[in-house]
Amino acid sequence: MNKIRFFIALWAAKMSIIALRITKHNGTNFPGVVALKICPNFLKYVSKPAKIIGVTGTNGKTTVCNLAIDMFKADGRKVLDNSMGSNIDSGISTSFINGVSIFNKCKYEEALIEIDERSVPVLFPYFTPEILLINNLTRDSIMRNGHPEFIGRLLTEEMPKATKLLLNGDDLIASNIAPDNKRAYFGIKKMDTDVEECINLINDMRICPKCNSILKYDALRYHHIGKAYCPSCGFKSPKCKYEGYDVDTKSMTVKVSEEDGEYTYRLLNDSVFNIYNVVAVVSLFRELGYSKERIAELLSQIEIVKSRFSQQEVGNYTIVRQMSKDKNALGASRAFDYVSGRPGDKELILMMNCLGDTQHWSENVCWLYDADFEFLNKENIKNIVVTGPRAKDYYLRLKLAGVADDRISFVEKELDAPKALKLEKNESIYVFYGTDSIVLANNVIKNIEKEIAERGEK
Amino acid sequence: MKIEVLFPEICNLYGDLFNVNYLKDCLPEAEVINTSLSDEPLFAKENPDLIYMGTTTESGQVLAIEALSEYKERLKECIDSGVNFLVTGNGMEIFFKEIIEGEKKVCDGLGLFDFVAKRQAKKRYNSLYLGDFDAGKENIKIVGFKSLFGFAYGDNDNCTLFNTQRGDGLNPECKGEGIKFNNFFGTYIIGPLLVLNPTFTKWYIENKLNAGDVKIAFEEAAMDAYNLRVKEFSDPGTGFYY
Repeated sequence: MNKIRFFIALWAAKMSIIALRITKHNGTNFPGVVALKICPNFLKYVSKPAKIIGVTGTNGKTTVCNLAIDMFKADGRKVLDNSMGSNIDSGISTSFINGVSIFNKCKYEEALIEIDERSVPVLFPYFTPEILLINNLTRDSIMRNGHPEFIGRLLTEEMPKATKLLLNGDDLIASNIAPDNKRAYFGIKKMDTDVEECINLINDMRICPKCNSILKYDALRYHHIGKAYCPSCGFKSPKCKYEGYDVDTKSMTVKVSEEDGEYTYRLLNDSVFNIYNVVAVVSLFRELGYSKERIAELLSQIEIVKSRFSQQEVGNYTIVRQMSKDKNALGASRAFDYVSGRPGDKELILMMNCLGDTQHWSENVCWLYDADFEFLNKENIKNIVVTGPRAKDYYLRLKLAGVADDRISFVEKELDAPKALKLEKNESIYVFYGTDSIVLANNVIKNIEKEIAERGEK
Repeated sequence: MKIEVLFPEICNLYGDLFNVNYLKDCLPEAEVINTSLSDEPLFAKENPDLIYMGTTTESGQVLAIEALSEYKERLKECIDSGVNFLVTGNGMEIFFKEIIEGEKKVCDGLGLFDFVAKRQAKKRYNSLYLGDFDAGKENIKIVGFKSLFGFAYGDNDNCTLFNTQRGDGLNPECKGEGIKFNNFFGTYIIGPLLVLNPTFTKWYIENKLNAGDVKIAFEEAAMDAYNLRVKEFSDPGTGFYY
């Protein structure tokens, strides 16, 4: 009976793919939604590649997956992925549906699956990743994820015993997941920019996981990411098998050391967040058996996804798109820190409002008080335009962060925000937008271009 | 004025500590004393003007209960004698009789209030909150957010902090939100309650912290955001449960 139900679900899902193509709809999750609706155990029965590599964590998993997928493509390796769908059960089901014939015969030997960390209870009963990379575990959506300790507990409870973990050793929450599983760690050695005391509002690893004493950090990068030790019981961050160091932002390279030596790899972006992403991908490919030379070759052939960070020159101005996942305080803090540290004068448009929430209820703004808006209180940030449904909350939060009145502009509607820009010559304009406002951000950027053209270059 | 913050190293989720930051902005002369798990609390030897504790993780609750257990009698004395407490989110559960997950008892609480916290391990309850605070001469509208793994059960009919208009009280069957015993104010509303509710904050500073007629920090900006939120939350078209 279950098998009959499964095949009905599979065929209905396959037909929905054809229907979506004919009607030119994206609907990347829709086939999976259909399949799961008809057969809730669909993931149990659908044929899957023999080897599944998983990538999860709070931030950077999409970037890591995109890098890995591009590298597999550059290597000519046929690997099923879920980059066109979501990372929850319906999106992953859609990928598996795409990977099988109508008779449920799997066409792939391998898959690289981005996995939403909150969804593991409905995924891991049905497939076992051979390797699971966990990039980090930090605060995310308050409503969905609660706090990282909860997600860590969830991952530990659901983790298949056979899965080998590839963990960020500089993240004591991620590195303590499923302690009985086989594991290897990656990380970054002490950097010049590291500190010993946390300057962020969020630090979810302030006490020793063994004895509860206050932890110390030899090298703290941001939040709880760094090399920690406990002065009371001797507990310390794990030793990393793969460790990035000697970051050269001029030549955009990073060295990664291993037991048998080091190798230099290309960086795609100089933010520490992205250095971790590259070190993570290098570690993953080393675990898959690739040589260092081949990984370096493959990395040199790819580009970072443009929708997340890209810039364009318009006359005397640089317009930068800066995605900052909505309702994610840590992601916002990292983006604020990175942008505020960039050279030159700048203006910002803050429009990371969660538009989905605005339609149905009202966005929970508690995350604003976990995010380091204090980074935006800098001399070279001349004007911050707050806009959208939560503009008044951004305004208040910036005031609490000490930003002076004459550096904050309030504009109700996003598309009008460019009118409030001061447009001083040679400055950069950063547009911070959320995951559900990509189209709106593109239109705001068009309006910035118009504004520049109308006012003429000063 | 002394404000004691209990265990900021673990009781710091969801922007809760901005309650204290905001009080400090409003009352620059106030001294904030951060008490860590291993410290002797300030309240053990004197009465602070306010004791604040915020939301923590589930393991954080257990640690906080362990750390406060030896001061249980002193805490009771403080509550009975009218020391101000403001406890937000699941920090409130630490003062209850016990915490239960599913059908299993996780731990005893401090047992200072006759309530039981019951949670589900993997389920999250999210809602907006709109209620009233009875400030004597007037009712003050309260807005906020709830994001919890469970609820509290017990009789708070005579010790309700906020009267709910929309959203849940201590649990879905209860319209009273939070608890109020003398000057112990506990609420499941998470995050920067005082920043989001400037009218309540002004009342609290003037009437509980006895700081006289104060102009609260960034009053105009805070009131603008507050008024918009009250309007949104009062709109019957605004959904309340995530």
